[in-house]
Amino acid sequence: MRLAYWMYQGTAHHGVGRIANSLQGVHAVFHAPQGDDYINTIFAMLERTPDFPQMTTSVVTGRDLAQGTILLPQTLQQVDEALKPNLIIVSASCSTVLLQEDLERTAASAGVKADILVYDANPYRMEEVAATEGLFTILVQRYAHEHIRTPQPSVNILGPASLGFHARADLVCLRRMMATLGVQINVVAPWGASLKDLERLPAAWLNIAPYRELGLGAAQFLETQFGMPALYDAPIGVKPTLAWLRQLVEMLNSLAEQFGAKALNMPPLTAFSLDGLSAPSGVPWFARTADMESFSNKKAYVFGDATRTVGIVKFLHDELGMKIAGAGTYLTQHKDWVREQLAAYLSNELLVTEEFQDVAQQIEQTMPDLVCGTHMERHSCRKLDVPTLVIASPTHIEDHLLSYRPMLGFDGADVIADGVYTSTKLGLEKHLIDLFGDAGLEYDENAPAEASQARDQVEAAPSAPASQTEKKDAAGPLVWSPDGEAMLKKIPFFVRGKVKKNTEKFAAERGFTVITAEVLRKAKEELGG
Amino acid sequence: MSSQITIIREDGTYFGFCGLACVGWLYQKIKDSFFLILGTHTCAHFLQNMLGVMIFARPRFGVALIEEADLSKHQPELRDLINEIQADHKPSVIFLLSSCSPEVMKVEFEGLAQSLSSAELPVLYVPASGLEYIFSQAEDSVLQALLPFCPQAPADDKRVVFLGSVNDAIADDFLQEAQELGIPVAGFLPADHFTNLPPIGPSTILAPLQPYLAKVAARLNRERGATVLSSLFPFGPDGTRAFWEDLAALFGKKVDLSQREKAAWERIAEHTEVLRGKKVFFTADNLMELPLARFVRHAGAEVVECSTTYINRRFHARELAALEGVKLVEQPNFDRQLKDIAQIKPDLVISTLATTNPLIGQGFVAKWSTEFTFMQIHGWAGVGTLAGMFTRSLKRHQQLGPLDDAAWTAGLMPSKRTIVKVEG
Repeated sequence: MRLAYWMYQGTAHHGVGRIANSLQGVHAVFHAPQGDDYINTIFAMLERTPDFPQMTTSVVTGRDLAQGTILLPQTLQQVDEALKPNLIIVSASCSTVLLQEDLERTAASAGVKADILVYDANPYRMEEVAATEGLFTILVQRYAHEHIRTPQPSVNILGPASLGFHARADLVCLRRMMATLGVQINVVAPWGASLKDLERLPAAWLNIAPYRELGLGAAQFLETQFGMPALYDAPIGVKPTLAWLRQLVEMLNSLAEQFGAKALNMPPLTAFSLDGLSAPSGVPWFARTADMESFSNKKAYVFGDATRTVGIVKFLHDELGMKIAGAGTYLTQHKDWVREQLAAYLSNELLVTEEFQDVAQQIEQTMPDLVCGTHMERHSCRKLDVPTLVIASPTHIEDHLLSYRPMLGFDGADVIADGVYTSTKLGLEKHLIDLFGDAGLEYDENAPAEASQARDQVEAAPSAPASQTEKKDAAGPLVWSPDGEAMLKKIPFFVRGKVKKNTEKFAAERGFTVITAEVLRKAKEELGG
Repeated sequence: MSSQITIIREDGTYFGFCGLACVGWLYQKIKDSFFLILGTHTCAHFLQNMLGVMIFARPRFGVALIEEADLSKHQPELRDLINEIQADHKPSVIFLLSSCSPEVMKVEFEGLAQSLSSAELPVLYVPASGLEYIFSQAEDSVLQALLPFCPQAPADDKRVVFLGSVNDAIADDFLQEAQELGIPVAGFLPADHFTNLPPIGPSTILAPLQPYLAKVAARLNRERGATVLSSLFPFGPDGTRAFWEDLAALFGKKVDLSQREKAAWERIAEHTEVLRGKKVFFTADNLMELPLARFVRHAGAEVVECSTTYINRRFHARELAALEGVKLVEQPNFDRQLKDIAQIKPDLVISTLATTNPLIGQGFVAKWSTEFTFMQIHGWAGVGTLAGMFTRSLKRHQQLGPLDDAAWTAGLMPSKRTIVKVEG
């Protein structure tokens, strides 16, 4: 048994809620104790929806268990009558699944007008991502029907869903690109799709399924069942977006030939910009400017889901010219794909873990210049003073900002590049500060300011248990001599933590117990300052 | 008197948190504690999302995670985790909280806690599962778990023990106020440290500060012979005056706080002016609804419905009496409430975190009831804050004006395509 403080993924029923809340005329009913209802709050608070999240908890109490009563049929009737959904998805929770009840039968006894699907999402075997993907695939299998293809080239966009990471902005971006190409969008699913829309998925010429986490299974099913080709890549970064657009045009044109329709032309690249006149992305020029010279030395560590981890590693390396210190994913079911995709980028083994302490430990060991991770990595990195950019779920209120911030396409490349630029330490200004001091930016360590108090709180907290073991293994306590400390103080504050850590590591390895100015000098020489 | 009050009881299909929510404030209140929840991924996900775990460097709570392999085990093995917690956090006490899955698995918590407990580090079982306990209710369980560690007060020790967790600033206010009135104070339950629990005996007067602690109060009365103050809860000028006057009376002191009450109402006149005649609807959430409704009613508003999750006719007797004539619902059905809200058109709906934004989306002025749990609204010092919480939403929406076009929320609800009218 392990102690969990934090999870990278939500529960299976949270995943069910994400699908139900995405689809028109669909409602989820959870056969669960009152407490499981908290997921409703996540939807209402993060997405700030002006409507009620499309899920209801049919409450199970201790008295129900003792007396063998069940509220489910009544709740189903109530939902059916009040909301008139086309489909109700019934799901058990981690506690009620242990009761091994026949929910099919109970749900059928309610005699409601809506279709009922009892989704067997065993929360002990399935987490959020597997549950969303599994449920969405089942729904597409259940509803998609043979359809005449649209006369004009068209696509389905599979994958955007409620509470997806920057999903709404990604969808806007994909729509924009399709409009520029002159490609119709047949159906977007699950985001905003009705069951009728799921039925007519096979009317599109092909499927766009950019996320490994959601939509892949549906696209694969549509490919086998209806012979619909699919574009499975994620257009993250400028080069992948270009390649993606070209492949899309090529696939559509080969279908156009088959269907006897007119071929599409790839428009000029400027057509993809907001005004139709400018560069579609600033990244190619920006990455080549002198300003970005210092980025070529910077090391980045990336941790997230499958799609974003792969996309961001490639982007940082191929398009911003950064070095990759390491990468990892919490999606164990996608580890092979991530590993294969990143084989050429990683010099060390891909980290596959669901425990944030493992990630924190690896970051602490590599001390990169930038971490792209989840909000947990952002938190872990605060005490290491490593800049962080959040690139993957679980989403947080800060991922639901008002401005247009996609991750996909040309627009997304600019958003990510801006994020990297503003998170990491400066270029030329940094050299000046490196040489001449702290530019007055240094925090007064004794100042009772709120910010420094918050910093103290974070710093006072020992990190993962793992790092404690590491300390115990060291050859005894290291002491800084006054001259060593004085010299350390002269190092600009924003790299001081890193230098301190490296020097202590160096000292421990060489068997020094007191770190004098001399030891620090040696360390700087050895480690390249 | 209160037995004549009609309480409608419905099926409890509403929105709300389970008892684990109380961890959010209790681990901060009891500074040398650790809260260990025996639970599943669901419990961890709940705490992470609702208690904002990430902003804390190192929360003194965690979930002993039941995974598939653990389901077949007779009794969970927690010894290693206890050792880990002891080494990392050095708590004086560990609260072992139950949750739904181990309840269904019939884990024998009492024995489990006992087997893990030692004289130097007690492990106390706290029933908190969502099958039985809602939101703040589980604080009652935590306090009951603490009872054996409250020293027995001698028969001649007649002092007050304030019951319910309030932050240190509010605790100081109550301490000072009691001293001014000449009421001797034995302490607070819970105290800020496990090692600092108040003595309780047959002459102790228990003064409940929070309205969700009926069971621990009844138990202290039964087991130690302590007297439970029956008054209004100390919220608002009306509640605070009654609370202190009644408490003083139990110490044989006749205190008249009418002037103080009057002055307090005058101080919040700008708020009561706004509230006068406004229709207020409570949908049920954190079990503070009865005293909040009573206050807002005395402040001039019309309470069109006061729903709450649990009502104890004895513990809440005075609040119920003060709410005579108000529609009271226990374990409400939200669907029915929505229909009533549509019909009654209240000026202000006090509702849960899950339902407030959608209610605003329907054009109502609504406010998070959960906020009342985390604000300093107790006693004389809290009067202004309390009144302001009710009027802030009304004033804000007044200031901003209504949303005049469906276009402003277009695209926000993933499942909904808003049809926006074409101008011109």
